[in-house]
Amino acid sequence: MLRVAPIKNTLLDGATITEQLYTTPKDCEDFFESLEKPTEVKATPRSTFIRAGVLTTVLGSAYMEYGNTKVLAIVAPPRELMRSSARRMNMGVLNCYVNFAAFASGELETVPEREKHLGGMLTKALEPLVCRNEFLNFQLDVRVLILDDDGCLLSTAINCCGVALVECGISTYDIITASTACIYKNLVFVNPSAKVEELLGQHRGADSAQMEEHGLLMNASMDTFEQLAQCQQCGYMKPETFVKLLDYTLEINKSLRQLIRRVLTDRVKEQHVLDKKEQEAERQEDERLAGIIARLKEQGLHEFIQSNIKEDPYTKK
Amino acid sequence: MAYVALSEAEKTFILHGVEEDFRCDGRSRRDYRPMELETGLVSNASGSARLRLANTDILVGVKTEIDVPNPLTPEFGKLEFFVDCSANATPEFEGRGGSDLAQELILSLQKAYESSLAFDYRTLCLIPGQQCWKLYIDILILECGGNLHDAVSLAAKAALYNTKLPRVTATLLDAGVTDLIISDNPYDCTRVGIDAVPLLVTVCKIGDYCLVDPSAEEEVCSTVSMVVAVSMRNNTGRCGGYKMLRPFITKFLSTAYLSGTHMTGGGSMHRETMLNCIQLGLSIGEQLNSLLVKMLKAEEQRVGPKRPKTVGFLK
Repeated sequence: MLRVAPIKNTLLDGATITEQLYTTPKDCEDFFESLEKPTEVKATPRSTFIRAGVLTTVLGSAYMEYGNTKVLAIVAPPRELMRSSARRMNMGVLNCYVNFAAFASGELETVPEREKHLGGMLTKALEPLVCRNEFLNFQLDVRVLILDDDGCLLSTAINCCGVALVECGISTYDIITASTACIYKNLVFVNPSAKVEELLGQHRGADSAQMEEHGLLMNASMDTFEQLAQCQQCGYMKPETFVKLLDYTLEINKSLRQLIRRVLTDRVKEQHVLDKKEQEAERQEDERLAGIIARLKEQGLHEFIQSNIKEDPYTKK
Repeated sequence: MAYVALSEAEKTFILHGVEEDFRCDGRSRRDYRPMELETGLVSNASGSARLRLANTDILVGVKTEIDVPNPLTPEFGKLEFFVDCSANATPEFEGRGGSDLAQELILSLQKAYESSLAFDYRTLCLIPGQQCWKLYIDILILECGGNLHDAVSLAAKAALYNTKLPRVTATLLDAGVTDLIISDNPYDCTRVGIDAVPLLVTVCKIGDYCLVDPSAEEEVCSTVSMVVAVSMRNNTGRCGGYKMLRPFITKFLSTAYLSGTHMTGGGSMHRETMLNCIQLGLSIGEQLNSLLVKMLKAEEQRVGPKRPKTVGFLK
């Protein structure tokens, strides 16, 4: 990994020795060499697993695995706004909180900053999705727990939250899907892994004498009306490259959308079967009770009570 | 963003104005409001700028410090942004009310300046691998009249242009330890290169149209806006054979690059609309950049290295 953590050794008398780890800009290149490079751009999502309704304690929950990235999203029903200052807006308020599990990422130092940043971006991406006019003066809390980080965090979180929102029964305008693509050293990586993302973050070692585009694009789209809910780009690139990456992500979003649709319809069917079973059980219970009542009418009350009295084993002694 | 109460009728009025390409203050959709820019007015900072864009008032100060560079990038200096939304800008910023907005501004600036192609971090290098400059760019929002992203980035660029780093000479002592000697002469200084420093342009969508530089009222009417960071860069490397002509060629060769974009405002837009927004942002950013550089140079020529004594800070 490319992380640099200067280790401080504090001596007894209070003096410190800072131990410099021997990392050089060449490490970036070695790191890049060690990466698996794509030979062609395949705009397909990683192997994905999504399941809605994984928790019974909250109304809306979803779990998603996108390759090795694992994310859990929780949506609670809207509750009344506490702060009166935000009340005068004509829309409900959406709050997103992102948390890293303690074991999710190797680097702990920047975690609070990343959590804040991801939370902010997630809120921005979900705001166009939720029908916020339906819960005026209410706030909706969306919580995301990241269990494992292998790149594409924000886009996976958006996908997962979209499913959790539907599961919770919050009205949304559409199904949201998101994906990430990046460019580094003229190579396009779709669904970049954590390593590639890290390399992009540390890119600054590159030689600026030769013009090299680098950057990352995250795109969340709602395909029914071909709307983009969020499109975020960082790095340095030409507008043409931007369009190229945008189209790759849109294509991935399309296939993800089919998957999410299937997951949601399956979930509804599953729920339907469960409901039917419950109805069946209820019907049987009703039948049993009806039988008892019928017997009661036949036998007369006194006999029925006598037949139901069981001798108490303690008083018998 | 600052909250302005508008009735439906007022919103419709603004919307119709935008459709007619004749906004409330008489501008067209591609016009900026008048700007006032002053540099070098904070004597305690290495560089400073104050920008007033109609009602938006921004003060930027640049402080310098010597730091140790990141071992991965031994030749690079460091930048750090800080935005303070003071409570006298709008009452909502009182307490912690402005922290979300400040966070957003810091993030968009950080992202825009992140790439070494957007900001030449090499000019901040003192001794590779050992010492570098760290610039603290402190941004103070004095008044909030819409379009903060653009105003903040313009002011930051102007402040960077104004920044004077004292000249440093190094002497080598025993065991590879270096000693820095900072020049006593306040006029003996180096400058920071700002050629490729990005500007943020907010393209705001009202009704079916996109416009730049929204006022606070227009921001309330907009459904979604796109913040585009535009960095102008000339690829001088390509015309190596024509060294004589380079100054003439570069003028035309400098192209606009994106160094960070994101959508804000809680709405969504179509792919084509977004690409139009980016196109508009790029062309506006290009004009804005050349104008800013021109004005900064003109101011420097007129005022010279020493500022005439000014009485009162906010005139």
